[in-house]
Amino acid sequence: MQFDEIVAVRTTSAAWRLLRADNAPLVLSFLGRVFVDDNIREISESELVSLLDDELHTLNAKLGDGSYPRPPKAYLDEWSAPDTAWLRKYYVVESDEPHYDATPAVERAVAWVRSLQDRSFVGTESRLNTVFDLLRQIVYGTNTDPEVRLAELRRRRSEIDAEIQAVERGEVSVLDASRRRDRYQQFGDVARALLSDFREVEGNFRMLDRQMRQRIATWRGTKGELLDEIVGSRTLISDSDQGRSFQAFYDLLLSADRLDELDRLVREAQALDDVADTDSRLTNIHHDWLDAGTRAQETVRRLSEQLRRFLDDQAWLENRRVMDLLRNIEASAYTVRDLPAAEFGHGIDSPTPTVNLPMERPLYRRTATVEVSSDDVEEGESDGDSDALFEQIHVDPAPLIDGVRKVLRGRDQVTLAEVVAGAPLQQGLAELVTYLSLTDESFAKVFDEKAEEAVSWTDETGTGRTARVPRVIFTRAVSTPAPSATVPSTTAPSTTVPPTEQEGP
Amino acid sequence: MSRAVPRDELNLSLAVTSLMRGVVYRDAAETTWQHVVGLAAQVSDHVATIGLQVVIDEAEGYAFLRSKSDDELADLGIPRLVARHQLPLHTSLLLALMRKRLAEHDTTDAGNRLVLTGDELREMLSPFFPATTNEARTTDQADTAVRRVTDLGFLRRMPGQDGEFEVRRVIKAFVDAQWLADLDAHLAEYTEIIREEAR
Repeated sequence: MQFDEIVAVRTTSAAWRLLRADNAPLVLSFLGRVFVDDNIREISESELVSLLDDELHTLNAKLGDGSYPRPPKAYLDEWSAPDTAWLRKYYVVESDEPHYDATPAVERAVAWVRSLQDRSFVGTESRLNTVFDLLRQIVYGTNTDPEVRLAELRRRRSEIDAEIQAVERGEVSVLDASRRRDRYQQFGDVARALLSDFREVEGNFRMLDRQMRQRIATWRGTKGELLDEIVGSRTLISDSDQGRSFQAFYDLLLSADRLDELDRLVREAQALDDVADTDSRLTNIHHDWLDAGTRAQETVRRLSEQLRRFLDDQAWLENRRVMDLLRNIEASAYTVRDLPAAEFGHGIDSPTPTVNLPMERPLYRRTATVEVSSDDVEEGESDGDSDALFEQIHVDPAPLIDGVRKVLRGRDQVTLAEVVAGAPLQQGLAELVTYLSLTDESFAKVFDEKAEEAVSWTDETGTGRTARVPRVIFTRAVSTPAPSATVPSTTAPSTTVPPTEQEGP
Repeated sequence: MSRAVPRDELNLSLAVTSLMRGVVYRDAAETTWQHVVGLAAQVSDHVATIGLQVVIDEAEGYAFLRSKSDDELADLGIPRLVARHQLPLHTSLLLALMRKRLAEHDTTDAGNRLVLTGDELREMLSPFFPATTNEARTTDQADTAVRRVTDLGFLRRMPGQDGEFEVRRVIKAFVDAQWLADLDAHLAEYTEIIREEAR
C-alpha cells in the first residue's frame, strides 16, 4: 500500500475511526458482544438502550462513577451519526421504533483487535492442505480437456486405493493430537469469518442497490438503453458476482443432507478429547449461519423488489420530472424571497373526505333554568358619575325613514330641507347626519353638489342653528311600491350593497 | 404479517368506512388493506355514488379516496365531499421540498422509511424566508408550515421519538408532477405580480 492510500483509508474508514476513538474499548466490547458474539442482526432501540444501560452501570461501578456519564441514548446517537457510522439506524416497516444493526466496520475492528491476542498454538499444516485443495479445484475445475481430468481422477483413485490397502493390512494412520487441533482451529476461524462476512455481504448488497438507483436516477438516455446497460453489466443484485456466490452458498446451506452432515461432524469433532478448548458457539454455528443468511436473503429480496418498482416507467419519469420542476420552483421562490409578500394560495385536496353527519352533533338539551329571586332587593348607591352614559346620542333611523316615505307617498321627490321643515330636527346635528346616510329600498338619495341648502333647527339650549349642506333629494324608487314598503323598515343605515346571489364554483 | 383474509370474508363496509376515515396504509393496517384491495371494484362502485373514486397504489402500499373532477361532479349534479385547501406560499413550498426529499431518498436508499427531524424540516425551508435577524420569527413560520402539513396528513409525528416526522408516501399521489407544474406556473405568475407592485 502506498502512503497516500493509507492516508485516505485512515480518514475515510469507519473501522479505523473506531479504533482511534477515545471510548474505543466501550464501543468494541459492547457492540462486539451484542452484534458479533451474540449474532444479533436487528435490535430495537429500547432493547439496545437497556443492554447498554446495564453495561454502563457495570463499568461505572468498576471504574468509578463518572467514567461514562452520558445516558445510553446519547452514546447510541453518537455511534449512529453519519460521520461515525458504526451503527445503522433505521425504521422497520412494522414498528415506529428505530432499529439498529452494526456496520461492517464494527466487524472488522473487532476481528482485528481479536487477531492481536497471542495464540499459544498456530496450526499451519491444515492451511497448506487447504491451499493445495483450492489450487486443485481452480486448475482441474476449469480444465475442459477430458484427458487431463481423467488423469487427475485416476491419480486420486490410486491414492484412495493405496489407503484402502494400507487399512486392510492393518496400518491405520491416525491424525495425531496436534494435527487435529490444527484442523479444528482452522475450522473455527473459517466458520467465524463466514459469519462476520454476512454483515459485509449485506452491506455490499445495499451499496450495489444504491449505485444502481443513482445510475437510474441520473440516466439521460432512453429506457431501453438503461435496461440494456443494467442487465448487460450484470449489476442487478442477484446477478452480481456477490449475488451468485451468496445464492450458491445459501442453497448449499438449505440442503437438509448437508446440514445434518455438518451438525453430526461438528459434534463428533468436539467430542474428541484433544480439541477440548471448544468454543460452544461453534456447536451451533450453522444455525447462526442460517439466521444471518436468511436475513441477507431477505435484504436481497426486498431490494430487488423495490428496485423493480423504482425502474417502473411511471415512477422513473415522475421522479425525474419532479426534480426538474423543483429546480424552477426553488429558483422562483428565491427571487420572491425578499420582496414584499402578496397574497398567495395554492390549492390541494385533502387526503380525507369530510363528512359532517347531523346525528354527530349533540342533541338538543334544555338549558337549565336559573331561578331569580327578586325578594330582598335593596336600593344601591352609585359612587361614580353616571352622566356620561346619558350624554350619548343615538339616532334611530327608522322614524326618519318613515317620515321620508310618508312625504314621498304624495310626491315623486322631496329635498332634505322640505323634509326637515315638515318634521323639525329633535336631536340636532346628529339627526341631520343620519338623514344624509339614510338608505331604504323604497327611495333613492341624490346629492346635488352644485346647489346648497340651509337646514335650521333649535338646539336644547334654545339657540337657533343653521347648517349649510349640499342639496339632498330623496326620490321614489322606480320599481316601488313593493308590498313590503308599507312595513316600517328597521334596518340600520348601511353602506354595503345588499349581497347578490352568486353561483359558487 | 397477519393471515390472508379469505375472499368470502371480505367486508365491504369495513373497506369503505376505513377509506372514508383516511388513507389506508398496508404497513399500518395489514388486514384492512386486504379488504380494500380485495374489494377494489365494489368499493369503486360504492363511492362513485358520492362523487369519489378510489386510488390504490399496490407498489407503494397506500389507498385513499379522491374526489372526481369538478366537471364530473357538475355533470352528476352533486356537491364536492373532499375539501380543497388553499395553502400559503411556505406551506406549498414545504410540500414541494418534501416531495423532492422523497425522490432523493428513493434514489439513494431503499427499504427505509423517510424520517426527518423537525430541525431538518426547518432547515429545508429556511433559505426561502427573507434574510432577517429575527430567527425566532422564521422558526415560528416554519413550524406553522410543518404543523399545517402534519394536519393535512402528509407528515406524521413518530410516536415516542421527540421531534421526528415521517414523510408519508401518499404525498406522491398529491404532490405529483402535475401539481408541481401548476405550482411552478402559479409561482412565476406571482413573481410577476410582485415585481409589478414593487416597481
